[in-house]
Amino acid sequence: MRTGDFKQTYGELVTLVDSPPVWLWSAVLLAGLIAAPFVLNSYALSFLMIILITVVGALGLNILTGYTGLISLGHVGFLVTGAYAYAVLVSKYHMHPLLGFLGAGVVPALASLIVGAPSLRLKGLYLAITTLAFSFIINTVILEARWLTNGARGISVPRPEIFGLSFDSDAAFTYLCLGFAILTLFATLNIRRSRVGRAFVAIRDNDTAARVMGINLHAYKLFAFVTSAFITGLSGALYGIYLSFVSVEGFPFLLSIEALAILIVGGLGSALGAVLGTILIVLLPEATRFAFSLFSAQIDAVFTTGAQELKSMLYGLVIILFLRFQPRGLVGAWHDIRRMWVNWPLRY
Amino acid sequence: MQYFMQLVISGVAIGAIYGLIAMGFAVIYKSTGLVNFAQGEMTMITAYIAWTISTTVSGNVFVVTFGAILAAIVLGLVIERIVMRPMLGEPVFATVMVTIGLAVILRSSINFIWDAYPHGLDVGFGRSIVRIGSIGVRTGQIAVIVTLLALLAAIWAFFRYSKIGVAMRAVAADDRTALLMGISATRVHALAWAASSVIAGIGGVFFALSYDLSPAMFQLGLKAFPATILGGLDAVLGSGLGGLLIGITENLAGGYVGSGMKEVAGFAMIIVVLMIRPFGIFGERDIERV
Repeated sequence: MRTGDFKQTYGELVTLVDSPPVWLWSAVLLAGLIAAPFVLNSYALSFLMIILITVVGALGLNILTGYTGLISLGHVGFLVTGAYAYAVLVSKYHMHPLLGFLGAGVVPALASLIVGAPSLRLKGLYLAITTLAFSFIINTVILEARWLTNGARGISVPRPEIFGLSFDSDAAFTYLCLGFAILTLFATLNIRRSRVGRAFVAIRDNDTAARVMGINLHAYKLFAFVTSAFITGLSGALYGIYLSFVSVEGFPFLLSIEALAILIVGGLGSALGAVLGTILIVLLPEATRFAFSLFSAQIDAVFTTGAQELKSMLYGLVIILFLRFQPRGLVGAWHDIRRMWVNWPLRY
Repeated sequence: MQYFMQLVISGVAIGAIYGLIAMGFAVIYKSTGLVNFAQGEMTMITAYIAWTISTTVSGNVFVVTFGAILAAIVLGLVIERIVMRPMLGEPVFATVMVTIGLAVILRSSINFIWDAYPHGLDVGFGRSIVRIGSIGVRTGQIAVIVTLLALLAAIWAFFRYSKIGVAMRAVAADDRTALLMGISATRVHALAWAASSVIAGIGGVFFALSYDLSPAMFQLGLKAFPATILGGLDAVLGSGLGGLLIGITENLAGGYVGSGMKEVAGFAMIIVVLMIRPFGIFGERDIERV
């Protein structure tokens, strides 16, 4: 009988996966995702695209909120900056899409330096407040800078063509999103198991102790914030391409809340959690709608008229219920199930 | 000069509303140590209830005021009991996230309970214009400034002299010692939520009186944030005065720089304040002992 999961060397503590079968199942999942555009209809495929794009953003926020324990209420600000950076570079100045993606990461990262440098000197909830402020300021800046952003009219963004490969079709664009999602996943997993990632977690768990151990709090917090903004900006660019049109209205404040809901539902501080949370949160409004439509067509009508309100109510409810009853999120639940499976009939 | 005075006076009037809501933030922060991100939404709900009373029951000023205060107390107590108390003892991160979740729920509930259209609150008072010299001021604006000043004095006296006020300060200073002295922390928290809901709710009703009710009213909470940061998150009176400063700054920025600036002046100010004096003008510096 397997009696436990013992780590005997430091190397085992920082491996990417702790058991070989994970690689096998990941390969199966990847094969499934590659086959998906051929199998799914365009409605289901659009959900897959949204999930993949959101995973990138959620993993970005996870570095800040999950690993380093800092709340950001304004990540939609970085999303919109990334989307605009890509749109301006590619649609307006006709640059190469890869340069556009680079800009979509670098511009929000610069913005995060400006916001983060003063506010990360402070402890506690101040970052939540300044990022909230940032997400409102950036909207005004975008609307005022008409020469660059077309103000309220927005910019239309075509699907990119990179090195002769056209990502015009939905299937091809899904592969592009899949590529970004996998790259981000590996990037965050590797950050987490590096020296930097350990510093982040140390700051989250006890910042005084972390400081005593020689971690430069300000530098590492800023690093987490900038990295997080970079990744979120990429997600924003992808979302802009998906919408095929970038405007301030396309990025409502609710997206910030959605991102936090994803992390809480999935389980804070875990890349797997960010992925699971994204799947649940993206599909939740649709699933609820389906569940209710079984009962009456009248409720179904409410879902069409008040879709945005119902969505935000669901997010709020999910945040509160998970924090109250399952604070470790879906990942925590999964660990419990796995342990029960291995140890049955014993409890521990 | 007259343009300047006009801007300052209407800035003080809107600033008094921010100040009331900022005091709501500070009351909760002071006694429970958390930032209530649902403050703006609670304000909005109280204002909507006041509007419902004025259209269905009676448009009398006193009936509406009494009903709104009662509703605000009930709202604060219900939220504290059902949503916040189960989170007692959980990390601040989780509790604050709960208030964010609550904010989204309350915000969207407006569209289901009421509707998405703007409404004017009419209690037969507040919209007539009084002339002071060459400057026109609405009676509602005068009333909100007077209310803010009266509440500032009342709250100062409450924290200074009343037994419950001292108990609240004790819980804020050190909740474990306060518990050992026989102060019920849950009762203090419940009181803080009710008080904060009432103070902010009054601000909301005044806003509805001078401007209009709409589902976008929750943004008042966002506008009041800078006020409470400026005054100090743990300084109730400071937050009230911070509101006045933010209101004036915002109006001057809007009047002289541009209307876009009006929306962000407060937020720009937060970032400056956090760089220079992060605990606010009247706040207490947080010293950590290891």
